[in-house]
Order: sequence, then structure tokens, then C-alpha cells
Amino acid sequence: MPNRLELTGITKQFPGVLANDHVSFAVKPGEIHALLGENGAGKSTLVKMIYGIMQPDAGEIRWNGEPVVVANPKAARKLGIGMVFQHFSLFEALTVLENIALGMDAKIPSRELESRIREVMETYGLALDPHRTVATLSVGERQRIEIVRALLLNPQLLIMDEPTSVLTPQEVEQLFTVLRKLAAEGCSILYISHKLHEIKALCDTATILRGGKLVDTCDPKQETSRSMAEKMIGAGLKDIVKAEGRTFGPPKLVVNKLSTIKTGHFDVAVDNVSFTVRAGEILGVAGVAGNGQNALLDALSGELIGDDREAITIDGFGIGLMNTTERRRRGLCAVPEERNGHAAVGDFSLSDNSVLTARDRLGMVVLGLINSGAAKTYTGKVIADFAVKALGPASTAGSLSGGNLQKYIMGREILQKPTVLVVSQPTWGVDAGAAAAIHQALVDLAAAGSAIVVISQDLDELRALCDTLAVINMGRLSAARPVKEFSVEEIGLLMGGVHGSMETA
Amino acid sequence: MDLTIAILVTVVGASTPILIAALGELVVERSGVLNLGVEGMMLLGAIAGFVVQFHTGNHYLALLCGAAAGMAASLIFGFLTLSLSANQTATGLALTIFGTGFSALAGASYSARPVALMSPIFPDLATHPVLRVLFGYSFPAYFALFMVFAIWFFLKKTRAGLILRAVGENDLSAHSIGYSVIQVRYFAVMFGGAMAGVAGACFPLTLTPQWAEGMTAGRGWIAVALVVFASWRPFRLLGGAYLFGLVMTMELYAKAGGGPLSAIPSELWAALPYIATIAVLVLISLRRDASTNAPACLGKPFMPSN
Amino acid sequence: MMRFRLEKRPEPSKLMLYGTPVAAVVLTMILGCLLFSAIGYNGLRAVQEIFFTPLTNPYKWQDLGIKAAPLIIIGTGLSVAYRANVWNIGAEGQYIIGALAATSIALLTWGMSGWWILPLMAIAGMLGGMAYASIPAFLKTRLNVNEILTSLMLTYASVQLIYYLIRGPWKDPMGIGFPQSRLFSEAARLPNIIPGTIVHLGVPIAVIVALIAWFVMSKTVFGYRMRVVGAAPHAARYGGFSENKTIWLAMLVSGGLAGLAGMLEVAGPFQRMVPGFPTNYGFTAIIVAFLGRLNPLGVIVAGVVLAITFVGGQVAQTTIGLPDEATGIFQAMMLFLLLAGDILVRYRIRRISPEASAGAA
Repeated sequence: MPNRLELTGITKQFPGVLANDHVSFAVKPGEIHALLGENGAGKSTLVKMIYGIMQPDAGEIRWNGEPVVVANPKAARKLGIGMVFQHFSLFEALTVLENIALGMDAKIPSRELESRIREVMETYGLALDPHRTVATLSVGERQRIEIVRALLLNPQLLIMDEPTSVLTPQEVEQLFTVLRKLAAEGCSILYISHKLHEIKALCDTATILRGGKLVDTCDPKQETSRSMAEKMIGAGLKDIVKAEGRTFGPPKLVVNKLSTIKTGHFDVAVDNVSFTVRAGEILGVAGVAGNGQNALLDALSGELIGDDREAITIDGFGIGLMNTTERRRRGLCAVPEERNGHAAVGDFSLSDNSVLTARDRLGMVVLGLINSGAAKTYTGKVIADFAVKALGPASTAGSLSGGNLQKYIMGREILQKPTVLVVSQPTWGVDAGAAAAIHQALVDLAAAGSAIVVISQDLDELRALCDTLAVINMGRLSAARPVKEFSVEEIGLLMGGVHGSMETA
Repeated sequence: MDLTIAILVTVVGASTPILIAALGELVVERSGVLNLGVEGMMLLGAIAGFVVQFHTGNHYLALLCGAAAGMAASLIFGFLTLSLSANQTATGLALTIFGTGFSALAGASYSARPVALMSPIFPDLATHPVLRVLFGYSFPAYFALFMVFAIWFFLKKTRAGLILRAVGENDLSAHSIGYSVIQVRYFAVMFGGAMAGVAGACFPLTLTPQWAEGMTAGRGWIAVALVVFASWRPFRLLGGAYLFGLVMTMELYAKAGGGPLSAIPSELWAALPYIATIAVLVLISLRRDASTNAPACLGKPFMPSN
Repeated sequence: MMRFRLEKRPEPSKLMLYGTPVAAVVLTMILGCLLFSAIGYNGLRAVQEIFFTPLTNPYKWQDLGIKAAPLIIIGTGLSVAYRANVWNIGAEGQYIIGALAATSIALLTWGMSGWWILPLMAIAGMLGGMAYASIPAFLKTRLNVNEILTSLMLTYASVQLIYYLIRGPWKDPMGIGFPQSRLFSEAARLPNIIPGTIVHLGVPIAVIVALIAWFVMSKTVFGYRMRVVGAAPHAARYGGFSENKTIWLAMLVSGGLAGLAGMLEVAGPFQRMVPGFPTNYGFTAIIVAFLGRLNPLGVIVAGVVLAITFVGGQVAQTTIGLPDEATGIFQAMMLFLLLAGDILVRYRIRRISPEASAGAA
């Protein structure tokens, strides 16, 4: 039997970066094939070419033995290739049914489509109401739409792009059951991830990419997580250096019954959240995306101002009514999840970006005039201390790679020596080297006596980095406990909304 | 009774061009594009319609040429904003400035030359004292009503309409599924241009039988405002447009009716449609779901990463 | 076959940022020449009269100055507002209300003399413009009503206010029925600064206003606030700049400057309120702001360029019979071409020859 999909010498060049460099591998019928690599390794580019969103500059794609040109996604679907995107291509204001209809190339009467949807959902155990508006659905439910949409076309190859990054461990198990069932029926699955334990649990073969090049194709069950990680990253892994037996100082940040008002239609507000972070402590906040993390960060940073002065205190001083500028003066710095457009202005120079958050703490403003020399000096220091790859303080933030911009932003806040630092997704989309540097900088800041809150969806990151951990679900935060006391299962249950300790907290 | 009938007839006539232009803009905005050049396209449609009517005497050909002029102007807008990703707000303003200037230039030699207004399509019923409320209008009034229904049906019931809404809702997703965002938006923009052109042509063909510089007098902007007022829904647009027709013709009847209303200076009456526009925008903003129906990509250029 | 593709630049190009406005003006001349030739005028003469005669004929220089002054003042205010993504397109209305406010002072002090009358009129003009701009600002910040539509609707309404006032309460008793206000007293008229010309005090004021605005926009926290709110509103909030406060500031600055321009215009060239007072400076200043790249120094240059087309348009009208409306077409073309060229600031055009892609395969 010919290979379901075979790539030979696939190459794709972007301005300034070779995204894929002569990549060749094959996927057999009914095989679950992992495509493994760090952010920026070229996984997404590769699957976009398989799905016809982009065209390779060179190389050949064979489908069931025949060379093909996949001109566009429609052509891909016609061949029998389905894809579930990492960032769902859904339309919030439309219903489930309308969303699925948009993904179908043939015009099917909506009644017939609906019965076919119900059939697929029944076969694979995917529950959904076709008439609900997508905006009202949870992330897991949204993913189910994408899967149903792909399955309706009876695909021979299903591409899953980082499908589990938004799911609880329990939802991941359900997804794996569906995928195994599909594979048993002969459908090949190309599973893109950087989560090694998932790949070991699910996949038959793994192809590892690094810097656009194919490093290895191996059997993940024969490999250790560490050996695959090293192939993926390319160098020996660095562990976070944390002093043993650290003790914590007095409470720095005390949050007491903090609630926010729902701002947007579909946002999740923070609901009666309380916690304490001591000097030297790193508190992790785990949770599935969209459970109030953004509101929590905004409420702490001062972008959302509440009505209770004492709901947030630093060293006992109530800052609940202050805006971000006043909170920074008091020693609270924050880094939101979104880098470009929120934590930094892409069109501004790095120097101007330093003025954005450091102008008061570092005296860059005198009588309403900006001291651009001081901003430049500080920016130079951030670039040097955090090894930011940039031409200098005059380069625009938008010209930096994601990892370098994140290093700059983290450096800009950390070098202000804040009393309290709140960060969201500190290493999201950042390569392993930069992530390690950022983690180390956070640990060092804590060691110097700051209190740190890390909001992240990456459990591995939180377990490695934090001293204490709490889980956020639907805007409510579980009681914080030492991270070592949690099992993954327990965190998973809390993320899914099964509040054990929360009621007693 | 007679006065009421007369008022209603005038209201429908005055609101028809606004309704037609707003319907076009509604489709454009549903695809995620904000074209603020409606006023300019209307003026181009008005002068094209006038000139064709003046030389050929054919009203339908005049409407068609008005549509063509509006569509041609919308292609300039489309090319700049869709193909070159130019700022939609600024380009729309430029289109209005251009339309104002070009129509004034083209019409310079036609001022104060009368043409014949379009006659009602049911001439027998148009003189009936009561039935003329329903049958007393020329073609554009019925065309507008038909388009309200047609656009509702298109958006709600057809696959093409679903795709158009999807493109306005989330252009990147539509692109990744495989729809051509730019192509869909070009069609929408051209449709909007044609509708604005027809709407403009209605001014010399159905309201005042001559060409006057800037004769649409901001009605294009009112049409844009009405789309917001109608929460991007065709049938609400119908109500909104007739409401505006009422506001615009009120002066005539206030004057005719005598009493305290006739003491209001005519300048205030002239300013009333604009003040009313602000008032309805304020009213609609007070509704809790005011902006939730707005197309999510409205006014944002389409920037795929590759 | 040659193929072209757009490629994102790592950094926006400074050369293109300031080069495209120049290219837009040059292309406007070329396209305008073709367009007007096509519709039966002498295109070359039209371009020559519109763009060059005002520069080569020293008698026209004073006209340039007094046309450019209001364009520069309003354009400066708009450049500040547009930087902050506040789309005040009702500057014409604020200009009118400013002029009406100044007129009210002139009429109240009619027959009086004193140095304080003109400054008072200037203050009234600015306050009038600000007050009118604060309506869209209030509606935007409180109720999230689109400022484009409200500020524009207010412009249409303000024109009616002129008509009402000069036909009614302010009607000149000596005007033999003409709807216009009295001629202002000497003390309420702008002095000429160069004897024997029509160049009034508004001209140097315009340049000073633009220079101050340039300094404020590039060196102060106020300017930073405007730029950051316009470039990334989310980041601005994170940096501690409230969006609502910024909208207010942007509206007040642009409205106040439009009002000042209105006062200078009514106290300078007009010296009374007439029905023909609205001359679309407030709309043309939108083109000035864009052509000047929302940079007050650029606005000075752009204001002069647009003034050239106004003065040149009048020249062309008398010499080759080109209708006055042609000016508006040249101006709109300039803006179209500028917006079309904007893409070159962020993208570059790459030529891809088939050989190159075949070679890579």
C-alpha cells in the first residue's frame, strides 16, 4: 500500500528566514504521526503547505503515491485532507451549523447537513448543539466543531495543530479516544505538538523539526522525553537554578475578595478572588485559557480599576483604586499575555516602549518633557542584560522576533526592580533558550525579595517555576498550596471546574 | 386625512434614496468594510443620472448609468483599501471629496436646466386619493422595498450571504478555510457603489428635477448613520429610513398646518435631519446590545500573515 | 513573465514615509494633465497654472500666505487628533462656530476700541471651537457614538446657524437687505503685518502654532500619549493613558485650533459674517493633515501646497477657463495617490522572475 502522504525536499523561504529546508517524511495509512518541534521550527508552515494555504518554493508532495499540487484548502479537502487549526477558524457570531456549512465545499441543504452532523457526533461521542452561537461555547466545545467539520468530509488524513493547548487533561483524554478510533478506521493523523508526554502516549511515529530542518524521524515509544526534547531543542536542556530550602519573607501582595465587572460580552470576570504572595515567593495561576486570566491580570495591573481600595494591597497599602501608573509608582509592574499591541507598541522604537512603563519609576519625565537620553540608556541596559537580539534602542518593537520582544518586555519590567511583578504567559511562543533565560530572571528577581505572580496555561512551566500554585476556573481561584502537594490529576480536576478545596477555602 | 396621505407620500419619496444607499452600505459593512464615501458616490450617481436623462430622456437608462458611476467610484475605493490596504476611513473621505469635486465639475454646464421627473409606475392609481399611498410612486420606491427583502434573504438564507457575513465576522478564518476575502469584499464594495449611485440618481430623477452642486446635502452620511442605527439589519433600516423621511419633510407640513410649529425658523428645520441623526445614534447607543451586532472586522484591513 | 510581490519591511521606511507625499503631488500633476486633456482642456496649461504660477508670480505670494494660514492651523489640530486615532472630521463646523463666537464679540464691542478686543475674539473663537468639538467628544466617551458621524452632522447644522444669525439677530441694519453682519470695527479687524499687502497677523500665528505643536508632539508626554493611543490603544491603557481622556484632549485641541482659524478668517479676510463664510477649509485641512504625514512640520509644507492649488485654481479659471471645481479634483487625487502609496512605507515591491524560482527548485 502506498504512503498516504509523502513529502520530498519541501522548502519554503520567507524574507530573512528559511522556514522549511528540504523536509522529507512519509505518513502511512492509519498512522498517528507526530510533527514535533519548538515554536518557530517550521511545523505550522509545513502543514500550511500540505493544506494548500501556502505553496512550497521547492519539493514534491505525493498523495497516495501520486504527485499532487495542493493549490488551496479546497483542493486539500477534495483530496481528503482535513485540518483542525490551533487558532480556531470559527465565526463567533454565527451558529455551529453555519460554521460547519462554511467549511463544506459542496452546498448541502441545512437539514441534511444537520442530520449528518448529528450522525458524526454520535459515532465519535462529540456532544454539541448545532443551533448555538459559537460565542457562547467553551474552548473545548469550539474544538469539537472543528473536528466535526473535518470529519464530515470523511478525511483520509486529519491534521491537528497543537490541539491540546487549550484543553484540560481530562478533555485531552477524550480527544485521544476519538483520534485512536479514527486511526483504527484507517484515517491517518498528523499530530503537531511540542508536548512530549502526549506524543509518547498517542503517536506511532514522530518527525522532529528544528530551525526548519528535519532532525529525525523516530518511534516515540522507544525514546525518552528527554532524548526527544534534546533533538527538538538541539542542546542539552538547562534546568532552572533555584536555591534549596528557600524561606519567604512577609506578605507583599495581598488580594482580598477581588471581583471585576464583566467588560465584554464574552469575557469571564474575576469572582471573589483572594490570595497572598510573600517576598521571595512565586505564585503560579494555572487554568484553561478564557477562565478569567485576562481579567485577573488587568485587575492587578490597574487596567481594570475596581471599587474597593483594600481589595489589593502592597505592603499593607491599598492600591485597589489606582490606575496603572500609580500602581507602578507603588511598585507593582505587570506583563500582559499579548506582546504586540498590549505590552509593547510595534511601531515604536524600543526606547519609546521603555517610556511606556518605566517613565515614572526611572525618572524619564521632567515637567512633562520626555528625557529621551534616559530612555535610551535604560533600553540599552535592558538589551544588554537580557541578551535581546536587536540593532539597538532605536529599532522598532515590531522588528523583533517574538522571543526577543518577550525578553525585552520582561527585562524592561524586571530591571525596574518591582516589589510585585505579575506576568501572564511569560514564555508563550518563545524558544527554549529564551524561555530558560526568562525563567531564571524571574527566579532571581524573587530571590532578591520581590513577590511574583505567574499566570500560565503551561502546567510544566508552572510546576518547574513556582513555589505555590492556585487554579483559576470560571473566574474563581482555588486556594493556593505548595506546588509539590499537587498531582497533575488534581490540577486537571480543578481546571475543569471540580472544586475540591475551593469550597472550604 | 388628505394631509396625512400627502405626508406619507412625500415621506416615502424623500426616504427612498437614503434607504437605497443605506442598503448598499449595509452589505458593504457586513463584509467588514467601512466605506465612508457614500456621499461622494451618490453625487457621482446623481450627476451621471442627470446627464443621461438630460440627453436621452430615458429614466431607466439614467438610473443604470448612475449605478455604473457609483460602482466605478467604488472600484477606486476598493483598489486602495482592498488591494493596497489603505486606511478605510481616510480613503472614504477622499472618495467623498473627489465625488463632490468631480460632480461639480461635470455638472457646471448643466445647472438650472430642468429635466422630467420619473412618473409613477401605476399612473391610474397614483391619482387615487387614498390608494396613492401604496401605488403612487415611481420605480425607485418599489425597488428600495424589494431590495430590503432581497438583501435580508441574501444575508440570511443563501450560502453566498453566509460567506459574506463570515468574511465580515472573521476575515482570517474565512481565509484559512479557503474563501477569497478580498474578492468577496470587492463584490460587496461594488454592490454598495452601485446602490449609492442609484440613490444619488434618485435626487434629480425623483425629487428635484435639475442638477445642483452638492445636491445630496449629506444624505449619504445619514445613510451611513442609519446602518448603525439599524444594527446592520435590513428591515430595521426600512423603519429608520422612513423615520428620516418624516423628519426631512416635516417642515412643509408644520408650515402648512400653521400654529406654533410654523414659527420655528426654517434654518432649524433644515438642520433637523442632522440633529436627528445624532439623536438616533445616541438612542441606539443606549441599547445594551448596541454594538454586539457590528461585524467584528468592520473597518480593519485584511492582513493575512503570508 | 515578470511577477511582483509585496514583501513586509522589517522596519517602516522613513524614505517612503516622507517620499510618498512628494510622489503623490508629482503624480497628481501628471494624472491631472492627462485627465483634463481628456475632457477637452489644455492639460499642460492647467497643471502649469495651478501648480506653478502661484509660485512664480510674486503677486500671488500674499494670496498663498492667507490661504495657507487657516489650512495650517486646522491641519495642525487635525494631525494631533488623527495621531490619536480620533477622527474629528467636523473641523469645518468647529471653524464656523469659532468664527461665530468671535463675531459675537466683535458685534458686542462694536464701536469700541482697545487692544483687548482681538485677543478676546481669539479666546472666544477657540472656546467656541472647543465647545462644538466637545459634543462629539462627550458622545464618544460616554456613549461610544462614532465621532466621524456626529462631528460631520454638526458641521451641516452649523451652516444653518450662520444663516439663521445673519438673516435674523445679526443682520446688518445698513445692509440693504443683504443677509450679512455689520462690518467689524477697526479694533476687531486683524492688522496687516506687511503694509500694502493683504497679509494679516494670522500668517505668522499659523507658523508658530505648527512649530509649538511639533515640539509638543515630539518631546512631551502629551505628544507621547497621543501617539501611543493612536498606535496601540491597548498598550496605552497598559501604560496608564486613559483612552477617554485622550479623546477629550484630541477633540479639544483640534476643535480649539479650528475655532482659532475661524476667528482669524472672520477678523482677517472677511471682517464680517457672510453666508459664503464656510469655504471648506475644514475639509481641505483633512488632506493637509494627511499630506503632511500628521507631522506639524509636514503640515506647514502641505498647507502651502494646498494653498497653491487654491490660488492656482483661481488663476486657471481666469486664464484658461478651467472651472473652479477642478481644484477639488486635484486635491482629492492627491489624497488618493498618497493613500495608495502608503503601502510602500511598510512593504516593498519585489520582482520575482520565473528563473529565480525555478533555480531554487
